[in-house]
Amino acid sequence: MEQPLLNRSEIVVLQPSSLKESLKLLNENPDAEIIANASDLWPRIRNGEVKPKKLLDISGLAGELSYVKKDENLIKIGALVTVSQLEGESILKEKRFSGFKDVIAKFGSPQIRNVATIGGNVCAASSSEDFIPLLLAFNAKVKLSSVDGERYVNLEKFIIGKRKINRRPNEILTEISFEDPGEGYSSAFEKIGRRNTLIINIVNMAVVGKVKDGKIEDVRIAANRIKGKIPERAKNTEEFLKGKALNEETIAGAKKVLSEEVSLTDDFRASAEYRKALLLAMLERLLFKLRGEQ
Amino acid sequence: MNAQTAEEFLMEIQKKAERGELLYIGKELRRIDDLEKVLGSPIYTNDLIPRNTLYARLVLSRYPHAIIKNISVSKALNYPGVRYVLTYKDVPGLNESSTIIPDRPLFAFNKVRSTGDIVAAVIAEKPNRAQEAKELVEVEYEPLKPVFDPIEAMKPDAPKIHDDGNIVKHVKVRKGDIEKGFQEADYIIENTFRTQHQDAAPMETETAFAVPRGEKILIIGSMQTPHHVQAAVAKVLGWPIDRVEVIQAVTGGAFGPKSDEPPYDVASIAALGAIKTGKPVLMSMTREESMIAHTKRHPAIITHKTGVKANGKLTASKVQIVLDGGAYASLGVLVIVRATFHANGPYEIPNVWNDGYKVYTNNTYTGSFRGFGAPQAIFAAESQMDEIAKKLNMDPLDLRLINMLRPGSRTSTGQLMDESCGLPECLDAVVKASDYRKKKELYSKQDGKIRRGIGIAMLHHGNALGPEGNDYAYVHLSVEKNGKVHLGTGLTEFGTGAISGLAQIAASVLGVPIDYFTIDRPNTLIHHETGPTVASRVIAIGGNAARDAALKLKQKLLPVASKLINCKVEDVQIVDGYVYCKGKEHKTISWEELVKEAYEANIELNTLGYYMAPSCKWDEETGLGSPYNQYTFGAAIAEVEVDTETGLYKVLNYYVAFDVGRAINPKSVRGQIYGGTVQGLGYAMMEELVHKEGYVVNPNLKDYYIPTSLDIPEQIQTIIIEKQGSMGPFGAKIVAEPPVVLPAPAIRNAIMDAIGKGINSLPITSEKVYKAIKS
Amino acid sequence: MAQMLVKLNVNGIEREVLVDPDDRLLDVLRDEFGYKSVKEGCGTGDCGLCTVLMDGKPVLSCVIPAFQAKNHKITTLEGLNNDPLMKKIQEQFRAHQAAQCGFCTPAMEIIGWHLLSRKKGASKQEIKEAISGTLCRCTGYYDIIDAIYDAGRPE
Repeated sequence: MEQPLLNRSEIVVLQPSSLKESLKLLNENPDAEIIANASDLWPRIRNGEVKPKKLLDISGLAGELSYVKKDENLIKIGALVTVSQLEGESILKEKRFSGFKDVIAKFGSPQIRNVATIGGNVCAASSSEDFIPLLLAFNAKVKLSSVDGERYVNLEKFIIGKRKINRRPNEILTEISFEDPGEGYSSAFEKIGRRNTLIINIVNMAVVGKVKDGKIEDVRIAANRIKGKIPERAKNTEEFLKGKALNEETIAGAKKVLSEEVSLTDDFRASAEYRKALLLAMLERLLFKLRGEQ
Repeated sequence: MNAQTAEEFLMEIQKKAERGELLYIGKELRRIDDLEKVLGSPIYTNDLIPRNTLYARLVLSRYPHAIIKNISVSKALNYPGVRYVLTYKDVPGLNESSTIIPDRPLFAFNKVRSTGDIVAAVIAEKPNRAQEAKELVEVEYEPLKPVFDPIEAMKPDAPKIHDDGNIVKHVKVRKGDIEKGFQEADYIIENTFRTQHQDAAPMETETAFAVPRGEKILIIGSMQTPHHVQAAVAKVLGWPIDRVEVIQAVTGGAFGPKSDEPPYDVASIAALGAIKTGKPVLMSMTREESMIAHTKRHPAIITHKTGVKANGKLTASKVQIVLDGGAYASLGVLVIVRATFHANGPYEIPNVWNDGYKVYTNNTYTGSFRGFGAPQAIFAAESQMDEIAKKLNMDPLDLRLINMLRPGSRTSTGQLMDESCGLPECLDAVVKASDYRKKKELYSKQDGKIRRGIGIAMLHHGNALGPEGNDYAYVHLSVEKNGKVHLGTGLTEFGTGAISGLAQIAASVLGVPIDYFTIDRPNTLIHHETGPTVASRVIAIGGNAARDAALKLKQKLLPVASKLINCKVEDVQIVDGYVYCKGKEHKTISWEELVKEAYEANIELNTLGYYMAPSCKWDEETGLGSPYNQYTFGAAIAEVEVDTETGLYKVLNYYVAFDVGRAINPKSVRGQIYGGTVQGLGYAMMEELVHKEGYVVNPNLKDYYIPTSLDIPEQIQTIIIEKQGSMGPFGAKIVAEPPVVLPAPAIRNAIMDAIGKGINSLPITSEKVYKAIKS
Repeated sequence: MAQMLVKLNVNGIEREVLVDPDDRLLDVLRDEFGYKSVKEGCGTGDCGLCTVLMDGKPVLSCVIPAFQAKNHKITTLEGLNNDPLMKKIQEQFRAHQAAQCGFCTPAMEIIGWHLLSRKKGASKQEIKEAISGTLCRCTGYYDIIDAIYDAGRPE
C-alpha cells in the first residue's frame, strides 16, 4: 500500500471557482479529499487522523451551492448552506420545519454555525452530527454530482457506516432535498449532552409527523444511534405508532417497541442503559410536541 | 480643582486623612494591569517570540509502564525542517524535573511510568513539522505490569513504580481516643466517597521560550513561580543559577499546575533546545500535550466512619484518604497534608483519627490545583454530614449548627479558634439569603416528576502555606523622580488581581493613589527569590511585605516633608497624593514635589519590604497543633431542580458567603468567588479527565467539559463577611482557592434533598442521578 | 506542494502572503500580520479563543485553512481598537474586572462587539448565548456578561 502523506505542507490544494470546474478537477484527482468550510475535517487533518495528499476546496462554490428553495413540492438545500444561513431562511420558519430551529439552537457554537455547512454535516457521517437524524426523519435525499451526471441517493442509503458514505470518488454532494410534508405536519428535535452547549450529544432524536384529531396519521423518527454507531430511523417504532391515538397508552407501547428496537453501546460519555432511558424520555416529549405541547 | 471650591477640597482631604491608611482598602479599584489585556496587546509568552524561533513538540510515552530498550531519533532528525531531537542523552546536568522528591526525570531514560512521561522533544522550524516528525522518533519498549487503582497500588505485592514502594507520603491526625469516641456514639455511619481527575485547563497552556545569550540563557514563560523555574533549569543545564534569567510573561491562567512541575519541563526543554541549536526555542504545549503531561487534581478515595450521639453531637471521626498520585510525587506530597488536616470538615470533634496517603500509580501524575486537597476532603466530609443528618432524621442545617467551629472551638488538630472564626456568620448569611428553612419545608412536600432540592456545604481553609513551607515574601518599592512608584516582586499575577491588591495596600500606606503605581515584570535577575505564588498567599503574606516596604518608604519621606513644609514629622500627612501639615491643611504640596525634594536631598527612595509568617507548630506524628496561622471560612447553599425521569438537573440558585477577614478589593474578591464557584461547578457536574488503563481518553476541550456561559446558574449571590485575621494585612485572609471547594458538596446535598439518595462520586453526571433514582 | 500565495484583507489592509497548505488563518494572522490578540486555546475549534470576524461574522481562525481566507474580509481586535463601541466595551471590561488572566478577553470583546453592533441593548440571555462557544476559566462569565451588557446600555 502507498504510504500516507506525512508532510502536510506538501498537500496539493485545488481551488476551483465553479461547480463545473470542481467536477472536472475531482474527476482528474479522485484521491482528493473534499473540504467545504472545513470546520470538521481541518482539525482531523491537522492532527494527522486524516492524511490526504490532495484537497479539493469547494468553499469557492458558495455562490452556486448556498441556496434554500422550494421547487415544486421539494425543499432543496444547497450543500454549502451554513447553519447560520439556515437560521435565517423564511421557508424553514413554518411550524412543520421547527425541528430545524431546534437543531440550529443546539448546533456546535455560534462561531461554528457561521461556517459549518449542511453538506459537511451529512458527509461527516457520524452520530455526533445533529442534522442527520432530522434529515433522516424528513426522508431526505442527497444529490451527488459528477462529470458523468447527477444521481440521487436516499440519505439512509448514503450513510453506510461511521465516517463512511456512499460517494463515488468523482462525486460531490451538491444538494440535500426532501418533500415538503405539507400543512398539518410538524417536526421537533432534541439533544442531550454532558453540558448545555458546545457538546457532542449523548443522544439526540428527531421526529416528523402529523397528528390530527388526536391520531397519529404519520410519523418518522430518527436518532443518532439506534442499532449501530450511525444515525438511523426507528422504523418499528414508527410502524407501531402510525394510526394510533396519541395518548399515554400509545406512548407507553411505543417506548416498549423502541427499547426493543435499539441496541446501544457504552462509551465514556454515557452507558448504553442510560442512552436508552434518555431516548425513551425524548420520544415521549417529542411526540407530545407533534401535538403542539411542551 | 475646577468643580470644587478650595474649601470643599480641603474637607475632602481631611475626611480621607481621618480614614487614614485605609484610604484604598476595601475599595473596588480597577486593576492596574488590565489595559493591555483589553486591547489584545502582545503580552503573553507566545506573542513575544523572536522571528527566527524554533518550535518544540513532545514525544510522550506510548505505554503507562514499560522499560525503554532503545530510542532512535535519526529518522526524525532527517525530516524536513527538523533541527534537533532532544532526549535524556542531551541533558548536561541532572535529568530531573521535580519539586520536592527527586523522582521525575525531565526525559524518561530507563523506564516510563505513565503515558504523560516525556521521552523526547522534536525541534523544528515550524510547529507542524515538529508535530509530524514525532511519529518518526522510534522508541522500543518492553511493557511492564501496570497498576492503576491506588488501593491496589498500596498492597505489598503491587507492581513497583519507583524503587521504594508506592506509598509516597502518609499523613496522620490522632486526636483524643477514637475507640472511646465510637463507644460514646449512638450511631456509627460509614461511607466511601470518590473523586475524579480534574484538569485545571488554564486557557493558555504551559509555555516558555528560551533565548541563548552566550554564557547565559534567557527564559520567558507562563508560570507561577519564576525562581523555582530558574533553579530547575539550572539543575538540568548543570549551570549556576545566575546564568539563567527567567521572566514571567503575562500568564493566561494558572490554577496550580503552573506552580508545579510542568513549567520546569517547558522551560528546561526550551533551554536545552536553544543551547543545542543556538536559536530561540519555543516550547508551548498543545492542549493535548498539556492535558496528558501536566499535573491534574488527584482522584481520591475517601472513607468516613463517624460516631454521633442521638442529639447530633459528633463524638468521633475516622477518615482515610487515598490520593491517586499518578506516577510522580510532585507537590502532591503537600496536597495530602492539606487534605488530611481538613478531612473532618469545619467541625469540633473530640476524637479524630485520620490517615492520608499519596500513592503512586501508572496514571498520569497529579499535583497542585486550586484548593490543594481541600475539594476532595470537603466533598467527602460535607457529604458525610448530610448522610449523618439523614440517619438522625435531622435537618442538615441543625446538625451543622450543633457541631460547627466557632470562636473557642478546637479543630481536628486541636487548634483553638479565635474571634476571627466567621463560620457562624457565613452560615447564617446563606441560610437567610436563600430562605433555607422555608424552601426545605416546601421541597419536602413534592411528589411530581420535576423535583427541587436544597443543600448546604461549609468549609474552613488554613491560610497560606502553613505546613507546606516557609511563608515569606519580598516586595520592592522604588519611586522615580517623577513620583511614579514601581512595585516589584517575585510573586506573580496570573489573573486573580492579587498583585493589584499589593499596590492597593502600598498605596494606602504611602497615601498616594494607585494610578501612580506600575508593576514590574517578575524577573529572577532583578527580584528576590520570594517563595512560590501558591496557596492564595499573595495578599495575606505578600501584602504584609508590601505594607512593610511602603512603611519604610514613608519613613524616608516624612523627614523630607517635615523640612519642606516646616512641620513636625509626626504631624506630616500624606493623603491621596497631597502632603500637608496637620492643622495647616490649606497649605499642601504635591507628592511629586515631595519626591523631587527627596531626590535633591540625596534620599534614596528604594525599599525592600519583607514579611515572614509566624512558624506553624504541629506534631508530625499526631498532626496536633496549629498548622495554620489563620483560617478562611465559607458556607454555600445550592438549589437544584432534578428531572426524575432522566436524572438531568440544573443548579437554579447558588448562595455563598466567605469570611475573608478584610476584602482589600471587594470587586476582585467577588471575581474570585464567581470564577472559583464555576470551576467548582464544573468539578461537581461535568469535568472528568477520563483515564482508561493509563491512557487519557479525552485530552481535548471537546470532550473535557468546562462549564460554558449556558451552564452557570442565573446568578451567584455572594456575601462577604469580614472577621479580621491575625496574620494578613488589615486582617485580610486568603480567598482565591476556597470558592472552588463548596459547589460539589452543596450540589450533591441538594440533589440528595430532591431525590432522597446521595451520590458519592464526582462528577455528578445526570446518569449517576438517574441510576440513583432507579436503584 | 510549494507554498501558496494568498491575498488577504485583514483589518482593511490587503496583503499577499505565502502560506503552507497546512497553515491556519490563526497562524497567518499572528505570524504574518502580527495580530497577537488572536489566541490559540485548543487548536481544535473547541474553545473560541481564536475568534475573529470573517465578513463581519465571528468564526474560529484555528479551523479555517489560511488558503480559504482569500476573498474574505477579516477583522481582529486590533482592527477595532479605535471603534467607539469597542472602546466602550473595553472600558466596561475594565470597570467590571472582566479581564482576569485576559487570555479569552479579545475573543469575548469581539463577540460582544458583534452582538451589540447588531443589537444595541442586548439582554443578558442573548449575551450568554453569543459567548456560549467561548470558554473562560477565570471569571465564571458573570463579569464578562455584565461588562457587555453595560456597554450596550445607553449612557
